[in-house]
Amino acid sequence: MKRIALTLGTLLLAGCVGPNPYVTPVEDRSGQRGPTPPPGSVQPAEPAPGVSVQPVDEVPVFRPQRADTDTTGSAVTPAPVEPQSAPRNAAVVALLDGAQQDTAGGDLRAAQNRLERALRIAPRDPQVYYQLADVQRRMGQFLQAEQVALKGINVASGQPQQLRRLWSLVALIRSDAGDSAGARAAQQEASRY
Amino acid sequence: MSKKRNSRRKPGRQRSGTWFRALLGPLLKLALVLLVLAAAGLVYLDAQIRDKFEGKRWALPAKVYARPLELYPGQALSSDDFRLELKGLGYRNVTQVSRPGSARWSGNRVELITRGFTFPDGAEPSRRMTLAFANGRLQAIRDERGRALSLVRMEPILIGGIYPQDNEDRDLIRLEDAPPMLPAALIAVEDRNYYSHHGISLKGIARAMWVNIRAGSFVQGGSTLTQQLIKNFYLTADRTLARKLLEMPMAVLLDLHYSKDEILEAYLNEVYLGQSGARAIHGFGMGSQYYFGRPVGELSLAQVALLAGLVKGPSYYDPRRHPERALERRNLVLRLLRDQGRIDEAQYQRATAEPLGVVEKRGLQKGAYPAYLDLVKRQLREEYREEDLSSEGLRVFTALDPLVQARAERAQSETLKQLENRYRQKAGELESSMVVTDPQTGEILAVIGGRDTRYQGFNRALDALRPIGSLVKPAIYLAALEQGYTLASQIEDEAFELKLPNGDVWAPDNFDHQSHGIIPLHHSLSRSYNQSTARLGLDVGLEHVIDMLRRLGIERDLKPYPSLLLGAQALSPLEVAGMYQTLAANGFRMPLRAIRAVTDAEGHELSRYPFQLRQQVEPALVHLIQYAMQEVAREGTARYAYSVLPQNLNIAGKTGTSNGQRDSWFAGFAGNRLAVVWVGRDDNASLPFTGSGGALRVWTDFMRREQPEPFYATRPEGVEYVWIDEATGLRSDERCEGSQQLPFIVGTAPQRSVDCGQWRRSGTPLDWFRSWFQ
Repeated sequence: MKRIALTLGTLLLAGCVGPNPYVTPVEDRSGQRGPTPPPGSVQPAEPAPGVSVQPVDEVPVFRPQRADTDTTGSAVTPAPVEPQSAPRNAAVVALLDGAQQDTAGGDLRAAQNRLERALRIAPRDPQVYYQLADVQRRMGQFLQAEQVALKGINVASGQPQQLRRLWSLVALIRSDAGDSAGARAAQQEASRY
Repeated sequence: MSKKRNSRRKPGRQRSGTWFRALLGPLLKLALVLLVLAAAGLVYLDAQIRDKFEGKRWALPAKVYARPLELYPGQALSSDDFRLELKGLGYRNVTQVSRPGSARWSGNRVELITRGFTFPDGAEPSRRMTLAFANGRLQAIRDERGRALSLVRMEPILIGGIYPQDNEDRDLIRLEDAPPMLPAALIAVEDRNYYSHHGISLKGIARAMWVNIRAGSFVQGGSTLTQQLIKNFYLTADRTLARKLLEMPMAVLLDLHYSKDEILEAYLNEVYLGQSGARAIHGFGMGSQYYFGRPVGELSLAQVALLAGLVKGPSYYDPRRHPERALERRNLVLRLLRDQGRIDEAQYQRATAEPLGVVEKRGLQKGAYPAYLDLVKRQLREEYREEDLSSEGLRVFTALDPLVQARAERAQSETLKQLENRYRQKAGELESSMVVTDPQTGEILAVIGGRDTRYQGFNRALDALRPIGSLVKPAIYLAALEQGYTLASQIEDEAFELKLPNGDVWAPDNFDHQSHGIIPLHHSLSRSYNQSTARLGLDVGLEHVIDMLRRLGIERDLKPYPSLLLGAQALSPLEVAGMYQTLAANGFRMPLRAIRAVTDAEGHELSRYPFQLRQQVEPALVHLIQYAMQEVAREGTARYAYSVLPQNLNIAGKTGTSNGQRDSWFAGFAGNRLAVVWVGRDDNASLPFTGSGGALRVWTDFMRREQPEPFYATRPEGVEYVWIDEATGLRSDERCEGSQQLPFIVGTAPQRSVDCGQWRRSGTPLDWFRSWFQ
């Protein structure tokens, strides 16, 4: 009981010390209801008579709360919604499988062709970039292979499993290209997921 | 030796004269010359005949193809789109599907037999299949046994060629590709005894003479198919006696060396069949495409008869210009076929009842894409010699999407008409150009070079360099973000003057001639304020802005003048597309590609242009600029777009208006389409509208028709979204009024926050406040 009273007392005191943050909004609203001249940082420009002791940037800025928090209907640019990874369509599955067989059979060009067809159909599927980068790695086109894998990483954001695989592939590409430091860095990235 | 190609164009009297001369001329002289030739020149002649017949007979133009349409269930493809594609491919609509190149529609289903095609990466067989469409999508593909197919590639539409000097265009066919009735009809009408004579036919000459005398005028020629081939293939165009005299022995020699079928096949490919501007149509392969828009093997009996009849005089019997003559000629060929027992009475009746069936020239795909072909040719010339392009029969596979091109053309022509109606003479003669790409792959899907989309001349999409106005701004803001600014940085939109080294004073003005004071950085971009942008650009440094433009893909030499910051630099729509492509692809620059692969005539790959990219800007930074570019469309200068497009179609872009309002630009993208539109006038006069009043309207109408996928800005690693107070740029909260969520590079969001009681657990601040006093 004593402790509660103490805490309450401290809080009350604290409320008296500074400008009480929760009083002002109410005053603010009653003072100037016009929506257009925004309050906040403009206020310091009209200091109360007397000497302003506080530096401009530390004057607290108060805002009323939203009546309703639903902002979806407004014209405001929405934050991105992570697209749900839709199930891969059968055409892409067929192309990826075919490319895998081409790769296994050593026909890298055929694999590349198939993967580019897959890319046109499903350009947001990280697996397409994974396989394409791997084919280019096998072709010795390390620079392109790494870039394609990086684009895959860009596409895969939010998909930890894909990110791990793609970073591991970047590590492999770099080590094939003789960049062992780069490979280690990529491996480190991979281990974060 | 140059070839003669006009000999068959003039029917009638002149030929009767030459033939009478040949026949009535002194026999002795003829015999003498023949003897001399036989003795001295025979060996030479023989060598020549064989040399040419066995060598490369014709210069074959490169064939340029559109992208093949890939079909798969779930694909965004309406039945109308597919109808258009089949029309471009020259498919016949039939009631019973029996041959490749025919289709039967019933509601939203279509049964068809594809032609099959040998692609550089393998053959796609001809198949019979049924497609079902619903809600703008392809729902299912089934083969003839009802099994579901997951992926089918249609044959690509032939969109053009690269022609040799003499402008001969031909598409080689083998004898077995031709419908059997074609040689039969040719023989019936041109050379009845073809299979029994030895190159020349005395019987034929005699009969022709007899017929002509009886008719009192020239009705029939006595020249055999072999002679006609010699004439066109080996001899010069001048009608000299020497040439006439060479013709016969050469015909005999040719007949001696080669089989009737070989000679006939050469004839089928050599014969002149029409003229399309400068382009001369040779051979039945090309003739069939030119008149009927489909391969020769798919022609009906009546169509075959028409082509065979055309040989005698392609211009006199031109079915487009003289349909009644053509019809009469066709029916004559059919009658001959019936009289000679090659077809029966029923076939004859059916065929003569058929209309001519010639496609309109405007409906042909060839010549429909001059601006895109121009781009393809320029890219090809960087790697191939002109003579190889026009003679080796190369096959060029491009990324052109005829469906996208069609929608772009419609959007452009209809919007310009509306603009002219609205602004009347103030608009003047508007011109416009457009480039459409796939931002995910960097492929160029459509190019419009001007208002007349079939015009072969000035290609504005590539060659019209116009000041880009505010289209330059995303590069400036991106450079600023790279230098440590954030979207919430407070910047100053105030007038200022800058003294230039040459003594001029530079004083940028805003479009509304007002200054807007302290504003957040993202507002300055989405509202396209000039004063704040110029200040920002000068603060960031012109060299950094130029460096950013280079990294985004501008290869042109850029001068570090302050006016660069407001888009005084002139660029082509294609260059702008390259720059915005990098912005759309999260900072990965991809060379824009029109060509996918080039093969030789046999299908061996000569060069390919694979998917390539290079990261030029940190994806996290590009994510921030993409956010601001979405704001342009949601609440900034491109708000108009959402008065037409659905709210859930996320787009990003930027308007541009050049000084004096001479150029109206919009560059923007959705998920799988990027389009750059320029509207202006060739005389560079001022326009009665800005970027949003002109180019944006074309762009929006295009996207409305295109129904692209929305742009998904997936949040990259290292970016966080923070609620920001719009007025102050301070941190705020979802619950506070005047707040907006903005993306930041992690750690760069402001620390200080406005206060609306958001740290309280629940209730309104008023309740909480009251609670203290209760």
